[in-house]
Amino acid sequence: MSELLTVRDLRLEFYTRRGMYKVLNGVNLSLRKGEVLGLAGESGSGKSTLGLTIMGLVADNAKIVGGDVIFAEHGNLITNAVWPDGKYVAKRGRKIIKRLNSQLLHIRGKEMTMVFQDSMTSLNPLLKIGYQIGEVIYYHNPRLLAERALARNRATREDMREVVMLLKTREERDLTRFLNEKGLGGLYEQINSIWQRPGMSEVKKERAILSLAGQRLSGFEKSVLEAVRDNKPVTNVPLYRGYRKRLLIREGVRKAVELLSDLSVPHPEKVVDMYPHELSGGMRQRVVIAIALANNPKLVIMDEPTSALDVTIQAQVLELVKRLKSKGSSIVFISHDLSVLAEVSDRIAIMYAGSIVELGETYDIVNEPKHPYTVALLGAVPTLTEKEIRGIEGEIPDLKNLPSGCAFHPRCPYVMDVCKKLKPDLITLGGKRQVACFLFGDSK
Amino acid sequence: METKRESELRLSFKVLFRNKSALVGTVLVLLYFIDAFVMQVYPKLFGITNPNSLVENFASPLPLPPSVLHPLGTTAYGIDLWSSILKAIRFDLAYTLAVVLSGAVIGVILGVISGFVGGALDEFLMRITDIVFSIPYLVLALAVGFVIGRTYTSMIFALALVWWPIYARYGRALTLSIKTLPYVDSARLYGMNGLKILFKHVVPNVLPPVFVQVSVDLGVIMPIFSTLSFIGFIPNANLPELGYLTTLGLNYLQSAPWAVIFPGAIITLFSLAANLMGEGLRDVFDPRRRSE
Amino acid sequence: MKLWQYIIRRLVILIPTIIGLTFIVFVLSHSGGTNLVLAEYLNPHLPASARQAEIQKLIQEFHLNQPVYIQYFYWLAAVLQGDLGYTNTPIYSGPVTHAIELFMPNTIMLSVLASIMVWLIGIPLGVWSAVRRDGVLDQSTRVGALTLYSMPVYLVAFSLVIIFGVYLRVLPFSGTANLLLVQNVSWYQGGISYPTHILIIDALLHGNYIVALSALEHLILPALSLALGSLAAFIRLLRSQMLDVLGQDFIRFVYSKGVPEKDIITIHARRNAIIVPLTNFVYLVAGLLGGVVVIESIFNIPGIGYWTTQALLNNDVGGIMGSTLIFGITLVIASLIIDILYALIDPRIRY
Repeated sequence: MSELLTVRDLRLEFYTRRGMYKVLNGVNLSLRKGEVLGLAGESGSGKSTLGLTIMGLVADNAKIVGGDVIFAEHGNLITNAVWPDGKYVAKRGRKIIKRLNSQLLHIRGKEMTMVFQDSMTSLNPLLKIGYQIGEVIYYHNPRLLAERALARNRATREDMREVVMLLKTREERDLTRFLNEKGLGGLYEQINSIWQRPGMSEVKKERAILSLAGQRLSGFEKSVLEAVRDNKPVTNVPLYRGYRKRLLIREGVRKAVELLSDLSVPHPEKVVDMYPHELSGGMRQRVVIAIALANNPKLVIMDEPTSALDVTIQAQVLELVKRLKSKGSSIVFISHDLSVLAEVSDRIAIMYAGSIVELGETYDIVNEPKHPYTVALLGAVPTLTEKEIRGIEGEIPDLKNLPSGCAFHPRCPYVMDVCKKLKPDLITLGGKRQVACFLFGDSK
Repeated sequence: METKRESELRLSFKVLFRNKSALVGTVLVLLYFIDAFVMQVYPKLFGITNPNSLVENFASPLPLPPSVLHPLGTTAYGIDLWSSILKAIRFDLAYTLAVVLSGAVIGVILGVISGFVGGALDEFLMRITDIVFSIPYLVLALAVGFVIGRTYTSMIFALALVWWPIYARYGRALTLSIKTLPYVDSARLYGMNGLKILFKHVVPNVLPPVFVQVSVDLGVIMPIFSTLSFIGFIPNANLPELGYLTTLGLNYLQSAPWAVIFPGAIITLFSLAANLMGEGLRDVFDPRRRSE
Repeated sequence: MKLWQYIIRRLVILIPTIIGLTFIVFVLSHSGGTNLVLAEYLNPHLPASARQAEIQKLIQEFHLNQPVYIQYFYWLAAVLQGDLGYTNTPIYSGPVTHAIELFMPNTIMLSVLASIMVWLIGIPLGVWSAVRRDGVLDQSTRVGALTLYSMPVYLVAFSLVIIFGVYLRVLPFSGTANLLLVQNVSWYQGGISYPTHILIIDALLHGNYIVALSALEHLILPALSLALGSLAAFIRLLRSQMLDVLGQDFIRFVYSKGVPEKDIITIHARRNAIIVPLTNFVYLVAGLLGGVVVIESIFNIPGIGYWTTQALLNNDVGGIMGSTLIFGITLVIASLIIDILYALIDPRIRY
C-alpha cells in the first residue's frame, strides 16, 4: 500500500456551554507518499480541526465519536481515543486525550509534524530559539547528536583535508565510504550543511570544514555522549540527567544553526540565541518550519502557513514546501486560499461542514470543478481576467444544527429533493476524482 | 434586541444555578443577612432580649462545653456562645458592609475618573495607590486608629482607607480597557461628548465586575475586621463582635478550645460563602467563562 | 535594555514611594499635636518648675513650634544621619535603631521561613492541581485552600496550636526557645541571643544543636500559620495561570513536537505560569508583614510586629515612625527583588 495516511469516516464533536458542535462529520481522504495534498475550505469547515485530529491534538472538550486515522506502519492512531457512546464527561475526555498523547509520543515530532498558522503563538516566549529547535532533536534522536559531537572530537585536521578534497571531486560515494571507514559518520550532515550553504565562498567553506575537527571534550563529557550513542539506559541521578540533557541540547542548537541556514535564515548563529519576540514574522515562520523538518518526518501538516504573511514571504514559504516535497516528505497543506493551493498541491480536497465534498488532481479540480460548492468557490476567486466575483448564497451552516441530508443543500443552486433527505457519500468518478453529490449518482 | 436580552438573562441564570457551590454560598450569605435583619428588627424571634450587649452569667464563669442548654457552649464569664454569635453577626456584617461599600464607591469613582481623564491626574492617583499598597493594612489601620482614636467607627474608616485603592486600580483598569475599544472611538466620531460616553459605555461595563469584587471582598474584609478587633484595637469594648468573642476565649485555649474556635468558624463560614458566591457571579459576568 | 539599567530605574522610582509613605504616617502621628512627642521624651519625675524649662527645651530640640512638614524634614534629616529617635514600650525602651536591631532578625527569620514554605508547598500543589484537573488532588486542594483563605489569621494560628500543641503535643507554641535549655547559655541573655539575634543561627554558630533544634521547633507553627493563609491565594492564582497557559497555542505546538507530558509541564508550562504569581509575591509579602503582627502576638515572638503593636497601643511616636519606615523599606526592597526576578525570567519586559 503506497498510502501514507488514510482517514476513514472521521467524526468529531465539540462540547461547549452553548451546545454541541459537530465539527467533523465523516471525513474520508488519503495521502500518498511524496505528494502534497491541499485541503481547502472556508473558516468553520473543520479543516484546521482535521489537521489537528490527525496529529491527535484533540482539544479538551472535543470527543472523537468515530473513524480511523491510519498512518504508515503504525496502524490506526486513534483506536483508543474513540468513544461513540455515552454522554460527554470532561474528565473522561481528558483521560482519553492523555492516553492518546502518550501513545503518540514517538510519532509526533519525528514522523509526523505540524506547522501552525501563527508562528508567534507557536513558540514559547520565554525560551531561546536554539533550545526550541534543539529540543525536538533531543527527544527523538539523541544518538545523532551524540555521534555528531563524538565525530568532531575524533576527527583530525588531516581527515578534514581529505574530506575537502573528496568534496571538490564531487564523489559523494567516496566521501561516505571515507567517513564510515574512519568512524566519522556523524560528520556527514555537518559537512554537507556547510558545503551546501549559499552565498559563502569556497575558501570560507573549506576553512569551516577544517574547523570541524578536534572538538575538545572533557573525559566526563565524552563518557556521557558515548553512553548516549551506545543507547545505555539513563541513570536516575538528577544532576547526571540534567548534565546529559544540557550537553545534548547544546549539540542540538548546533544542528539548529545548520537547519536555519538551510532555510536561508541570515546569521543563524545569532538567531538561535534570540527569543521569539525579537524575530520578524517571516523568520519565525522559518523557525517553526525548521522545527517541523528537523527529524525528516514522513508527513508534515501545514495549517494556513502563509495566511499571516505578506506575499513575498508567502512565496518563500511555498518554495520551502516544494523543497520539503523534494526531500521525500508528504504534506497536507491546509488553506482557504485556492490560488495558493493550486500553486503547490498535487491533489486538492474540498471540505464543507465537516466532510470532504470533492477530491482530485489539482489541474482537474481547478479547471473542471464538479461539486456545486467547488464551482462556487472557484467563481469567488478574484482573477485578472474575470471582472465579476460571484459570492455564494446563504451562510455557512451552524454546526450545532446541521441541515438534514447534504449540508450544502440550502445554498445549492442545483438542489434536488433527495439532497434534503440523504447525505451523499464520496463516489469515485473515473479513476482519480471523487465527489460527494447526488448530481453524479450515488454510491448505491 | 429584546429576545437577545432575554436569552442572555436566561443564560446567566443557567450559569449561576449550574455552579452548585456558588448557590450554596449565596444561600448562606443570605442567611447571615437574614439573621442581621432579624436582630435589628425583631430579636425576640430567636429568643434574644438584649441584642446590643453580651450577657454574662457569673454563676458559672468558666466555659462550658456544648450542651442542650448552650448549643455552642459558653465562654469566659459564662457568656453563651450561641446567642452571642447570633447578636454579633449583625455587627460584623454591618461593619464589613460599611467598609466594602465606602471603599468601593470612593475607589471606583476615583479610578474611573482617573482612567478616563488620564494625564497628570492619573499618574498622581497611581503614585498614591502605590504608596497605600506598600503599607500592610494592619499597620495603616493601627496608625489611623492612633490618630483619630480607637473606636469601631475609626476601624471602619481605617479599613476603607486601605481598601479604596484596590477599587481605584480596578476601576481604572476597566475604564482604560473600555476606553480603547473601537466602539468608543466610533461613538466619539458620532459626536458623543465625553460625559455621555462615560455614562453610557464605561459605567455599565465597569459595574458588573466591581459588583463581583464587592461580593468577594465581603468575604475578605470580615476576617480582617475581626482580626483588628482581636488584637485589641478597641479598648474595653463589650459589644457582641466575633473578634472580641475570640479574645474572651483566649485564656481558656487549652481547656476550652471551642470558645476560640466557634466565633472564628462563623467568620470563616461567611467568608467562604461570600467567596463562593463571588466566584459564581464572576462566571455569570465574564463572557469568556460563560461559553466554556 | 540591560538588566542593571532596569534595576537602577526601579530603584529611582521607589524612593519617592518611601518618602510619601513616611510623610503620611508622620503627619498622621503628629497631627495630634505636640503632646505625644513631649510625652515620649519628657521625664515624668521632674518637678513642676523644671518641667516647663524641659518642655521648652524639647520644643526647641524637636522644632515642635514649626509646621508639620518642616518637622518632617528635620526628622528625615535625622534619619539619614542614623538617628531614629527613641521608643518607649513595655517590651523595650531605648533607641529605635537598637530596637530594630534586636527585633528585625526574628521577624525576618519568620517571614523567610514562611515564604519558603509557600514556595515549596504552593508550586507543586498549584501545578498539579491544574494538570490533574478535577481529580481528587485538585478538588481537595481547592477546598482546603479556599477554607484557609477564608479564615482570619488568628484562627489559623489557633487551630494549628490546638491540633499540634494541645492535642498532639508535638510542637511548642510560645516564645522562641525552650527556656530551660537556654538558661545557662552564655550567648543568650535577657531574651536576646548573640551575635545575630536569630536564635537558630546563633545556636548553629555555637555548635549547640540541641538549642538549634528547639529553636526550629518553635519556629514551625508560627511560620506555618503565616504560610497557610498566603498559600491559598498563591495556589489559586498559580492554578488559574497554569490552566491559562496550558490552553495556549505554543503548548499545543510542543505537544506536536512529541515532548513528553512531564517535560511540557515543568519546562514549558510552569515557567510561563509562574510569572503572575511571582509578581503577586510582593502582595504576598505585604500580607505576610501584616500577618506577622498578629502571629508574633499570639506566639510571643519578639519581633518587629510585636513591637509595632505595642508602640501603637502605647502611643509611642518614635516606635511608630521607626516601624513604619521599616515596613516601607522592606516592602520596597521585596518589590525590587521581585521585579528583578521577573526581568530574569521573562525576556520580553527588558525592552
